Amino acid sequence: MAVALIKERYQNSVSELTIGATPEEGGTRTSVIKVGGDGTLPFLHFEGEMKNRPVIAMEVTDVPPVWSETLNSYYKDVYNDPVAWAKKCVEEYKADLLYVKLIGANPEGENRSPEECAKVVKDILGAVGVPLIVSGCEDPEKDNEVIAAVAEAGAGENLLIGVVEQDNYKSITAAAMVHRHSVIARSPLDINICKQLNILISEMGLPLDRIAIDPMIGGLGYGIEYAYSIMERARLGALANDKMLSMPMICTVGYEANRAKEANASEEEFPGWGDVKERAILWETMTATALLQAGASILLMRNPDAVRLVKENIDDMMVSNE
Amino acid sequence: MKYNVTFMPDNQVVEVEKGTSLIKAASQAGIFIKSSCGGKGTCGACKVVVLEGEAQTDRTGNLTPEQLSRGVRLGCRTFVEDNLTVEVPPESRLQDHQVLLENNSSLLRESSKDLLSHYGFHPLARKVQVSCSEPSLTDNASDWARLSLEIKRTLQSEKPIKIPLSVMQTLPEALRKGNWNLSVTLSDLESEYTVIRVEPANSKPAFGLAIDIGTTTVVVYLVNLDNGEVIDKQGAYNKQAHFGDDVISRIVYAVESEESLKEMQNAVVESLNALIGDILKRQNLESSDLATAVISANTTMAQLFLGIDPRYIRLEPYIPTANWIPSVPAKEIGLNILPEGLIHTFPSVASYVGGDIVSGTLATDIANSEEIVLFIDIGTNGEIVLGNQDWLVSCACSAGPCFEGGGILFGMRAMPGAIERVVIDPETLDVSLKVIGRVPPVGICGSGLVDCLAKLREAGVIDRAGNFQMGHPSQSDRLRATDEDKEFVLSWAHQSGGDKDVVITENDVKNLIRAKGAIYAGIRSLLQTVAMEMEMIDRIIIGGGFGNYLNVHESVRIGLLPDLPHDKFEFFGNSSVKGAHLALLSRKAWKEAEELGRKMTYIELSIGNTFMDEFVSALFLPHTDLTLFPSIKE
Repeated sequence: MAVALIKERYQNSVSELTIGATPEEGGTRTSVIKVGGDGTLPFLHFEGEMKNRPVIAMEVTDVPPVWSETLNSYYKDVYNDPVAWAKKCVEEYKADLLYVKLIGANPEGENRSPEECAKVVKDILGAVGVPLIVSGCEDPEKDNEVIAAVAEAGAGENLLIGVVEQDNYKSITAAAMVHRHSVIARSPLDINICKQLNILISEMGLPLDRIAIDPMIGGLGYGIEYAYSIMERARLGALANDKMLSMPMICTVGYEANRAKEANASEEEFPGWGDVKERAILWETMTATALLQAGASILLMRNPDAVRLVKENIDDMMVSNE
Repeated sequence: MKYNVTFMPDNQVVEVEKGTSLIKAASQAGIFIKSSCGGKGTCGACKVVVLEGEAQTDRTGNLTPEQLSRGVRLGCRTFVEDNLTVEVPPESRLQDHQVLLENNSSLLRESSKDLLSHYGFHPLARKVQVSCSEPSLTDNASDWARLSLEIKRTLQSEKPIKIPLSVMQTLPEALRKGNWNLSVTLSDLESEYTVIRVEPANSKPAFGLAIDIGTTTVVVYLVNLDNGEVIDKQGAYNKQAHFGDDVISRIVYAVESEESLKEMQNAVVESLNALIGDILKRQNLESSDLATAVISANTTMAQLFLGIDPRYIRLEPYIPTANWIPSVPAKEIGLNILPEGLIHTFPSVASYVGGDIVSGTLATDIANSEEIVLFIDIGTNGEIVLGNQDWLVSCACSAGPCFEGGGILFGMRAMPGAIERVVIDPETLDVSLKVIGRVPPVGICGSGLVDCLAKLREAGVIDRAGNFQMGHPSQSDRLRATDEDKEFVLSWAHQSGGDKDVVITENDVKNLIRAKGAIYAGIRSLLQTVAMEMEMIDRIIIGGGFGNYLNVHESVRIGLLPDLPHDKFEFFGNSSVKGAHLALLSRKAWKEAEELGRKMTYIELSIGNTFMDEFVSALFLPHTDLTLFPSIKE
C-alpha cells in the first residue's frame, strides 16, 4: 500500500521583493531579481510553491577590506578598484547581484563623505547590469547620511538599502520611500523585535513588500542553530499569515563564516583540520546551505568557490520533489 | 518685599515676593494658566488683564496696542511690583474639565466594598471594661485571679487568658488607682486571650494599625477597634529605598554583613515609626493606645521587617524561610505600639508572591467568587492572581517600581503635587494637567504616567517602541534633547512647584514600557498555564498605589491591561492595606488568610521561555501582536 504523505496547507505566502529596475521600469539594470513569494517551508515543493529561487549577492567594499588570506587570493588585485571588483564578481563569478558595503564611510577609518560613497555606487551601477544591495559602515549616524545620499544617487534603480534597526530606522526608511528603494530591517536574533521593527517601518508608509528581514545570523559553529530556529519561526509565522513576519530573509553569510576561527587558522597550527583554503570554502558553503534550509532568500557571500558550491546546491534543491 | 495679588473672578488672594511672575503667582493661588512657549513671551497663551496696581512687563509679544491699553499683559512676562488685582480670562485657563471631559467613563474611581460582609466583627485586639470586687481579709484571692475571673465573666468565654510578666508588673497599681475598675486591652486570638495592657477605667477605645510595607512605599491606617473605622492614614517612602530599588538589591545589601540586615530592619521600622508618630500626634493619642498591628508585605519585606535573613529568597530555588509567620509582641521588633501588642504578619505563598497578595486576595474576596477573577497588584513586584472559589493560581512578574514613581526622573507617589492626568495637543504639543491637590506640579504619579505614555504616543512624540521623535512637526520647545537624554516638558519651571521644568525622559518611557510589558506578559503567561483565553475572565480587579483614579482606556492603549470591555474592570486601590484592615477587624478573616496562603498555587515564571517571549513581545505600544488589541485603531 502506498504511503500517503501528510501535506500541510498554509494560509499565506512570503511577500515578493523585487530588487533592481530595468530601463522600462525607470532604472538602468539589465536584469532584476525577485525573491520570496514562497508558499511553503523551504524546498517542500510538494506542499506549496517555491516561487523564486534563493539568490547570492557577492560582497564588494568601497575601500580595501581586512579579509582573510584565502579571500585575498581571489580579490587582492581588485581591492583598490570597486568597479573592477564588481565586474569580476559578475563576469567571472556569475553573481546574481552585488552587495556593496561602504566601509570607507566609517568615521574611525577613512571617513569618506556621503558624496564620495554615492559616487562609488553610481560608478558600479554604470559598470555592471545586475541589481545592487547597498549598506553602510555600521555607524548609525553616518549611515543615515551616507545611505540617504546613495538613495538619491540611485533613484529609480530600486536598490535594497540598509540597514535599519529599531533605534535608527527613520532616515533610511524615509530615503527609501522618497527614492523608491527597499530596506534591510535588522533585528538581533529576536522574532519580536523583528516584528516590531517591521511595524514601525510600515507605519511610516513603506509597503511591506519593500522590506527584507536581516535576522542577524551566527556562522557555522558560532550560534547558527539560534539563527536557524529564529528564521524557522519567522517563516512559520509568515505562512500562518503574520503579515509583519512575511518578508524574505537576507543573511550575512560571508561576514559570519569568514570570521570563524575554522575559516582562518592555518594547517600548521591545526594539522588535523586540513587545508585552510578548502576549509574556508566549506565553512562558508555549509553556513549558507544550512540557512537556505531555514528559509534564507538572499545570501550575502564572499568566497567565489563557496558561491559556486551553494549555487549548485540551490539548483539541486529547486528540482521539484512533488 | 511681599505684595498681595488678587485673582479675579475667583477672588483668590496670594502673597508673593516682589518680582514673581503673574503665571507663578496664579499657580500658587491654584489657578493654572496656559503656556506653550515656556515663559519666553512668544506664544501669547497666558494673557491676563491687570485691573488694578502697577506691574512690570518686560515683553509684550504679539499683544496689540488696543489690548495693552485695556491692561492685557502676558502672564509669564509680567512681574509683581505692587498689590495687584488681575483677571484671568477663561481662555487663558487650564481647566479641570478640559482634562476630565474626555473619556470620563473610563476613569475608574477606587471602589469601596463592605469588607466585613463575610466575616463579622471580631477584632484581633479589643478593650473591655472590668469591675472587680475589692479584696478583703475574707475574700483574699490574688489580683490576677480576681481580674482573670472578671474578664471571663465579662466576655462570657472559656478561652484561656494569659498575661505577660511586664503587664502583670503594672497590675497592682492599676487596680488600686482605678478603684478596682479597669480598662483591659486584650489580644483576641482563636485559642486564647492575652492581657496586654491594664489601666484605670477610661472610655478611650483601643486602636489598631493596618500596615502595608511595600518595596517602594509604606502605608499605615489607624483603625478604631471599637467600631472598625479608619481614623487616619498616611503613607511614605520605604527608607530602605536608599539601599536599592527592588527586592533583589535589598537582599544583596542585607546579607553583606550582620549589621546590614539590622540596618535594613531598622530602616523599615523607622519608616513605620515616623508615620505612626505623625498619626499619633495628629490624633492626640499615645503609642500605648495602639493595641495591635497587622502587617501586609511581600515575602522579602516581611523577612526584613522581622529581621530574618532573606538571602535564600534570591538564590535558586528561591526558598523563603517561612510562609506562615507566628505573631510576635511589638517589643521584639521595636514597632512603636503597645510593647506587648501583637504584630500579625500575613502568610505568603512563595518567595515572590507574598503576604501582600494574600491580603489583597482576601480583601477582593476572590476566594468567595463564582466568577473568574483576575487580580493584578501593580506594585514594584507586579503580582497576579487568577481564579475563583474553586481554584487560585498566582505569579509574580517583577515589573519594577515605575508605577509607584520609582526609576522615573520626576516620578512620585500619588500625593499633592503629583500629576495624575495629562492631555497633550497632538498639533501644538501643548499640555493640560490635573494635579492632585490642585497645587503646582512637582512630579508625576502612576496614573499620570499611564496617561502620559498613551498621550505621548497619540501625539506622535514617541513611536511604538518608545523612541522620541525629535523631528515632531509642531517644532515645540517642549520636546528637547539634553546631554543625557531626550525629554518632554510637562510643566515649565515657572508653573511648577519646584524650580525645575517637570519632564518625562526617553529613559522614563523605556522603563514604563518594560514595566507595563512585564505585567501584561505575566497575565498572558498565567493564562497560558491554565489554558484559558483572555475573554474567559469575568472581572479584572486592579490594585496598586495609583492616584485617585485608574484610567482604563489609557491603560489598555499602552498595553498594560488586556483589551476587554471596560465594565469588567474594577480599581481597588491599595488592596494590601485593605486586606490588613479587614484582618484587623476579624479573627475569621485572619484565619481565612492563613487558609488562602496555603490554597494558592504558585506558578514560577522563570521556568521555561514563555514569560520571556511574552515579555519581549509586550515591549511595544500596545503590543507586537496588534491583534490582541482590536479596539485600538490608529
